Amino acid sequence: MLENSIFVILALFLTGGSLMMLWSKQSILSAFGFLIAMLAMAGVFALLENSFLFLAQIMVSVGAVVVLSLMVIITVNMKDEDLPDEPKKLRWILFSAILVAPFSFLMYRALTHMHQSFGVSQEGYGTLKSMGGELFSHWVLPFEIASVLLLAAMVAAIVIARKEPN
Amino acid sequence: MISEVLTPEPFFMLATLLFSIGLIGLISRRNLFVVYMSIELMLSSVNLVLVVFSRLRGDMGGSVMVLLMIAVIAAEAALFLAMIIQLVRSRRSVDSDDFAQLRQTKEQL
Repeated sequence: MLENSIFVILALFLTGGSLMMLWSKQSILSAFGFLIAMLAMAGVFALLENSFLFLAQIMVSVGAVVVLSLMVIITVNMKDEDLPDEPKKLRWILFSAILVAPFSFLMYRALTHMHQSFGVSQEGYGTLKSMGGELFSHWVLPFEIASVLLLAAMVAAIVIARKEPN
Repeated sequence: MISEVLTPEPFFMLATLLFSIGLIGLISRRNLFVVYMSIELMLSSVNLVLVVFSRLRGDMGGSVMVLLMIAVIAAEAALFLAMIIQLVRSRRSVDSDDFAQLRQTKEQL
């Protein structure tokens, strides 16, 4: 029963955080909702016995991505009157929810098509050792491509965000 | 053990819900930061589905894919935030409706 209650709490935090992100007018409140959602996602990874992904999620998604977004939001420093004026926000959100609903129903049915339950996890599942073994035996090429991608993204981010020389 | 209690359906429902919230945010909001975080949320829900399938099959391949996805998410975040900084510098606005130069006007149609 403990796992189920942990799952319910994490799911509430995830949904609440993402709804806060969706609803807030202030960008900084949206970013805090996103932070809550990402932390709860790390908890869900831990619940699925993926201890290494738990760490990676906390370090990269929370520690790097969300903190970078918060820093950019603080640096941009939009005043209330500069933020986009969305008087019909509720109507837009409800309308797009109606549009999205059949698609999400289809996605849920497709995902749950295989009726299976979790087996008992094998010895060493989700540990750093098994992750590293898999990563450096079957997934070496994608790993290297990811490093090139990160380098390219770093250079591109610097080029896009810098001031023009003149 | 954890495995005997939990079933995969709630996880799938959670992932579907998160993806839908991200899609709704992408469609309905105009603040560039919210659009960016909605895209991130959709990517994270895909990560969740991959982890659940990896756990179901007892195969670490899905988890490794999620690890690579996290790297892609970090790259995407850096690029998107740099783009937002550039857009704010050029127009002093985070409203996505202000950046419609690529849209066809009536005369061009």
